[in-house]
Amino acid sequence: MELPGKGLLKGLGVTLKTMTRKNGVQQYPDVQPDLPARSRGVIALMEANCTVCMLCARECPDWCIYIDSHKETVEVPGAARARQKNVLDRFDIDFSLCMYCGICIEVCPFDALYWAPEFAYAEGDIRNLLHDRGRLGEHMAHVPAPDAHDPMGEPSKEESTAAKKGGAR
Amino acid sequence: MTVTDVLVCALGAVSLGAAIRVVTTNQIVRAGLWLVVALGALAGVYLVLTAELLAWVQVLIYVGAVVVLMLFAVMLTRAPIGRSDDLDRPRLPAILVGGGAGLGLAAVLADAYRWSYIGLSGVEPGNAEALGREVFTGWALPFEVLSVLLLAALVGAIAISRPEVGERREES
Amino acid sequence: MPVWLEIAIRVAGVFVAFLTLPLIVGQTEHKVMAHMQGRLGPMYAGRFHGWAQLIADGVKFVQKEEVVPGAADKSVFRLAPAVALVPYLVALLVIPLGPGDLVAQPLDMGLFLVLAVVGVGIVAVLMAGWASANKYTLLGALRAAAQLLAYELPFVLAAASVAMAAGTLSLTGIVEAWRPWWLLWQLPALFVFFTAGLAEIRRPPFDAPIADSELVFGYLTEYTGLRFALFLLAEYVGIVVISALTTVLFLGGWKGPFASDTLGWLWTLVKVGAVAFVIIWLRVAFPRLRVDQLQKFCWLGLVPIALLQLILTAVVKVGF
Repeated sequence: MELPGKGLLKGLGVTLKTMTRKNGVQQYPDVQPDLPARSRGVIALMEANCTVCMLCARECPDWCIYIDSHKETVEVPGAARARQKNVLDRFDIDFSLCMYCGICIEVCPFDALYWAPEFAYAEGDIRNLLHDRGRLGEHMAHVPAPDAHDPMGEPSKEESTAAKKGGAR
Repeated sequence: MTVTDVLVCALGAVSLGAAIRVVTTNQIVRAGLWLVVALGALAGVYLVLTAELLAWVQVLIYVGAVVVLMLFAVMLTRAPIGRSDDLDRPRLPAILVGGGAGLGLAAVLADAYRWSYIGLSGVEPGNAEALGREVFTGWALPFEVLSVLLLAALVGAIAISRPEVGERREES
Repeated sequence: MPVWLEIAIRVAGVFVAFLTLPLIVGQTEHKVMAHMQGRLGPMYAGRFHGWAQLIADGVKFVQKEEVVPGAADKSVFRLAPAVALVPYLVALLVIPLGPGDLVAQPLDMGLFLVLAVVGVGIVAVLMAGWASANKYTLLGALRAAAQLLAYELPFVLAAASVAMAAGTLSLTGIVEAWRPWWLLWQLPALFVFFTAGLAEIRRPPFDAPIADSELVFGYLTEYTGLRFALFLLAEYVGIVVISALTTVLFLGGWKGPFASDTLGWLWTLVKVGAVAFVIIWLRVAFPRLRVDQLQKFCWLGLVPIALLQLILTAVVKVGF
């Protein structure tokens, strides 16, 4: 049989131990939190990678991505005919609608969208939560470098292809 | 008039005024609160008359327990804020009983002491030692009788508040 | 020194203690509670570890609007905080800080006076709860009254045990008669007195009358601004009074292992601080008792222990 009051003493012990131990509180406005690299803070856009395929806008459950574009004709010297190219006019994400599911980033075939741990972009006016492509591009500065490749893992596709080609040569 | 006289008169007036409010106010809970004032002022009178122990007993028992119990009971049953107009208040019998008892006691006291004046300087203060000695020597019998009375009241309260013991057993 | 000056100094001393000690206890509660829960507590007010937090709180409370409910009994509602505060002020008057003259008003009946006035606090709770014209406040007040009436009994019985042991009702006299082995002899009384004292000031785990998760905020629900601050102050003065009483009655007051005569007041303060810390600690560690558990704990736990302690005290006192 357990001693009566054992639980009470245990409670006292736990609280006393917690008090004497150093706690890990980071005082936010004074100390910036060190967030993990994969934190879902804000979505950044690398414009150069975007081909205006519209996959992100179509997959977005909230329809919070707005894309406008036009076609431009590019004359390639030596080619039989002129090529056509999509040029981005508008790429907006409305963060008042976004639910941070990350589907747009998953579906982007050309790695134009990234997660960045930046989170302090609250606004007084809800309309200012619509980030245009300039602002989304600025968020790229916060995107952390990708993790180093696992040395025990399989080599990346690019590496193995290059090795194969090198070996064939 | 010494300071003591003035204090006794003032506290007595407060006590009397509060007591009158107790019986005249139409607000039940306020009557209880006025009773606190009346009993507190009475404790003050005891204190001025150097009956320290009696004064604190008055505060502990009457203010701290009896009145609180009354307020508690009133609030549990019916305690509207504001006036209650349906209080039945038998004016004449109440005046007869209350006034009669008060006047009678006053007359007895006035007759007993007349205009004799007892100063406080020669009087032994009513501290615990003095009171204890009195209670356990000269007043031992009344003290014991009162104890029996209180015990009877306690047993009675338990008997009333308990559900019928026989019935319970039949059920289970 | 003329008499009036001495009285003025003593009253001023009590008043200063009345205003500073509760603030210190409150600040300690903020910080200790925070650290026990793995937080930091106030850090900004006054720059250094938020030492001025309660002063800032006071300034905030003063600025707040004084809201009195329309259906309330207004004069009773307004009077209640004062009635809550005065008994503790009176109690502080007779608590000795050190040997000899270090007490505001040495009284032959100190213990009795303290027990009597602490009981008066119930009236304030009933007034506040009833006058607010709110069912939650009324429920809180009724819980408080039931709790305080019940716990008054073991509280007084435990104090009576010490008074019997010391053979006096004077708080100074009790400390003078105190011997270290009383710690063991009066241990059950110490437990009963401290626990019942916690219930008297309605501190967790005995805060069923306030019970913010069931009764909004109990009898304090309708109070705002300065009057609410006064009730809070009363709670923290209550902690000081209960700690000081426990110290004086059971822990030997100004007596310490060394330098009892010169530094007696420091010993008293250290002991009061330690007991107040335990009160805060219990708040963090223990959950609130249910109302029926509360009554059961009192009548089936504390009262029998207190009565047994009385018998023990009498046997030792008469027999040895």
